[in-house]
Amino acid sequence: MYALAAPSVMGDGRLSQASYLQMRGITKTYPENDVLANNRVDFEVRENEIHAVVGENGAGKTTLMKILYGLEQPDSGRILLRGEEARIHSPLDANRLGIGMVHQHFRLIPEFTIAENVVLGIEPRRRGIFFDRERAVRGVEEVIRRYGFSIDPGLPVSRLTVGQMQLVEIIKILYREAQLLILDEPTSVLTEQQIHKLFETLEKLRSIGKTIVIITHKLGEVKAISQRVTVMRKGEVVAVRETAQVDERELSRLMVGKSVTFQFEREPVNRGRVVLELQNVVLRQKGQDRPLLDHVDLKVHAGEIVGVAGVSGNGLAELEDVIGGLRRVSQGKMLHDGRDITDLSVVQLRERGLAYVPADRLNRGSSLQSSVMENMIISSHHGFLQGGVFRQQAMEEFADTLTSSFSIDGDPRVPIGTLSGGNIQKVILARELASQTDFIIFSEPTWGLDVASAEFVYAKILEIRRRGIAVLLISSNLDEILALCDTLVVLYRGRVVASMSNEEKLSKELVGEYMMGLRDDGHGEAASSEGGPAEGEAP
Amino acid sequence: MKRRRWAGELFTGTLGLLITVGISFLIAIILIFLLSKQPLTTIYYFFVGPFTNKYYFGNMLNTAIPLVFTGLGIAVAFKSSVFNLGGEGQVYSGALVATVILLALPETSGYLGGPAALAVALATGAVLAGMSGFFKMKWGTDELISSFLISSAVIFIVNYFITGPLDDPGNSMLATRAVGKQYYFLGIFPPSKLDISAIFAIVAAVLVFFFMYYTHWGYEMRMCGLNREFSRYGGINVSTYVVLPMIISGALHGLAGGVAIMGTYHVAVKEFSYGMGWNGIAVALIAKNNPLGVLPAAVFFAYVDAGAKAAMLHSDVTFEIAAIVQSVIFYLITAQAIYSFLRRRKRSRP
Repeated sequence: MYALAAPSVMGDGRLSQASYLQMRGITKTYPENDVLANNRVDFEVRENEIHAVVGENGAGKTTLMKILYGLEQPDSGRILLRGEEARIHSPLDANRLGIGMVHQHFRLIPEFTIAENVVLGIEPRRRGIFFDRERAVRGVEEVIRRYGFSIDPGLPVSRLTVGQMQLVEIIKILYREAQLLILDEPTSVLTEQQIHKLFETLEKLRSIGKTIVIITHKLGEVKAISQRVTVMRKGEVVAVRETAQVDERELSRLMVGKSVTFQFEREPVNRGRVVLELQNVVLRQKGQDRPLLDHVDLKVHAGEIVGVAGVSGNGLAELEDVIGGLRRVSQGKMLHDGRDITDLSVVQLRERGLAYVPADRLNRGSSLQSSVMENMIISSHHGFLQGGVFRQQAMEEFADTLTSSFSIDGDPRVPIGTLSGGNIQKVILARELASQTDFIIFSEPTWGLDVASAEFVYAKILEIRRRGIAVLLISSNLDEILALCDTLVVLYRGRVVASMSNEEKLSKELVGEYMMGLRDDGHGEAASSEGGPAEGEAP
Repeated sequence: MKRRRWAGELFTGTLGLLITVGISFLIAIILIFLLSKQPLTTIYYFFVGPFTNKYYFGNMLNTAIPLVFTGLGIAVAFKSSVFNLGGEGQVYSGALVATVILLALPETSGYLGGPAALAVALATGAVLAGMSGFFKMKWGTDELISSFLISSAVIFIVNYFITGPLDDPGNSMLATRAVGKQYYFLGIFPPSKLDISAIFAIVAAVLVFFFMYYTHWGYEMRMCGLNREFSRYGGINVSTYVVLPMIISGALHGLAGGVAIMGTYHVAVKEFSYGMGWNGIAVALIAKNNPLGVLPAAVFFAYVDAGAKAAMLHSDVTFEIAAIVQSVIFYLITAQAIYSFLRRRKRSRP
């Protein structure tokens, strides 16, 4: 796929062994949700290598890089640059020490030219106050020439392709004389061709002495570009390997870890009618060449849990948006009980029986400054009206009932933002399950929750499955998907690469390989070739 | 339930506000000592003047009336996180159309002309502000900018009518003819200008409060104001709530203009309503966008204004000095209110 020779040697033919960066015993907790993002992490990058950092969502890769770049402060731990203690309290410190970072989401001003974007923050000045545009352009041209890029610094950024914008981000940090470049999931928005181009650039930078750290989910890319790889899982480093001496399957296994067993037993599935169906759904975004959802087919039966697995950035969030009615598909159809619901509004979808527990529970799932009660009635408040005015008492009774039946620890009258994460999720569940629903989307329902809250959520999901409701469970947590779902669908780069029954206990390793793009059952037709009978391919 | 929370919010907010008021009064007193040759007299009239007789006191309350309407208009918009900066033009054009209706009606139309004029004033404001809301919904035009620009243009158009076609040649002012006496609002506190529209203002504040907290439009509006993403997810038609708050906001501004004509001015003088729109923003900020809080906020605003006027009449301070003292107080208080408003907005966006 990435036909690049990956020279792992320096100009003189020897492999570099000198340590460029060492992070020792880095620990970082986020007190807001009590997540241990980094747990005594040791991380080492050698001079003049391309070092890949891989891991699932929430493995702690980005946190580690943010600490290195001065965006976060660790609770404990040390950073050594070429053996010397480095204090990095802000990105400015990092820049001064020769560390630059390309973020996943570009930080460019579209109306400005390339040169203006590159010098932003350290503009050359005339007489101390005036922006010296000529010197800026010359300086940027010099960088472009020195590194052998071909791009006109006078172009406005709004006219660039995504790949070119990324190049501008790289030029930006080269202009600041960075020696160590950090790239956070640089390929997630690129097409295959642009990825190829990027890798050529990175290889070129390495060949002239730069050191590069690249965060990625994609194991093919690790093999194609890096010399060494660090694997992280649940905030810890689980392996460091020479890339040449590790294969993608092993990396995949290291990333997903061992299967976790849950206490509950799933009763055998009793599939009813097809409740929700997606036919050939395509979602495109302006300015992006690759579709976010690529001809997705999906069926959810009554009483069935369909799990959608995938690594973030592969279309899970978009699938959630589309079925939740918040984004219009570019192509294809969505059916509910055989009726077309593709272009229905959220209100109409909810009237037809949609319930939806979103992944972003703090912004989409709740309004933090509003009371618990106001949060509970968001989609049902019309039911409490009498002559256009709310029946306060009925609303309060409703809120009290939900609060006690879901054992929510909090007064319905206080702002929901004062509750714990687990209780906020309970409020959302209570609200969604209180509606007359026959299909429900759960997206990352236990992300960031403590064990007790997560188990509560699992119990609820299984309970509504017994009630014959169609459940779509979108999750990047493989253990949870394998424990709960009857049918498993894997998305990779917006495409369904696997669709299989979970009756005979799929192995986590196998699903992991699909998620990492190592296996691909293709466009539906081939879906039954591997891992059990394909779901919904019957007629 | 909301009442309790609202009361707590109001208390903590009020405490901060009182401190700011105290500081600003202190600075005002220092300024008066620096600028006035008879500082004690000036201070007396500045702070006590509005209460020394019925005339001053009634006029002070009368000044507050249009501010209640414009303050409510701004509060409704801000609560929904839309911004109406076109208050000036909406008040002024509301006043003009009310005057025109009242002048055009035959004398025999009796008292019905009053409600008609107010209705048209209200509609004018609603359309002007509603346009900005509509543009925002349709093309994403920033309503903050468009409402300001539309209003600025409208002010010139109104000026044209008052000084041109509608100018009363029998009057040396740049003003229209006076409306018929039967349309004057009933005075309730002679000899001051205070009239029954004071009651309208109180009723309006109560109605807006009820609307915001007890009806589903109010609920949906507040939800959209606090979190648009959540509202969209919950099935609220969020684009409606870009337009509706603007319409209501504009209507209240237009009404302010109509009420000012029928209650106090009786003629549309060129730029007579200057400041009513802008001061409405300050009033709403001081009231923390609470419709009932708008009442005391507007009275406070009018109080400082009346104090400055009284001091000008009874001591040696000139208009400029009174204006300086007045603005120091307003700037400090508005800045405090803006600060807490921005902080709240920042918190609402994680």
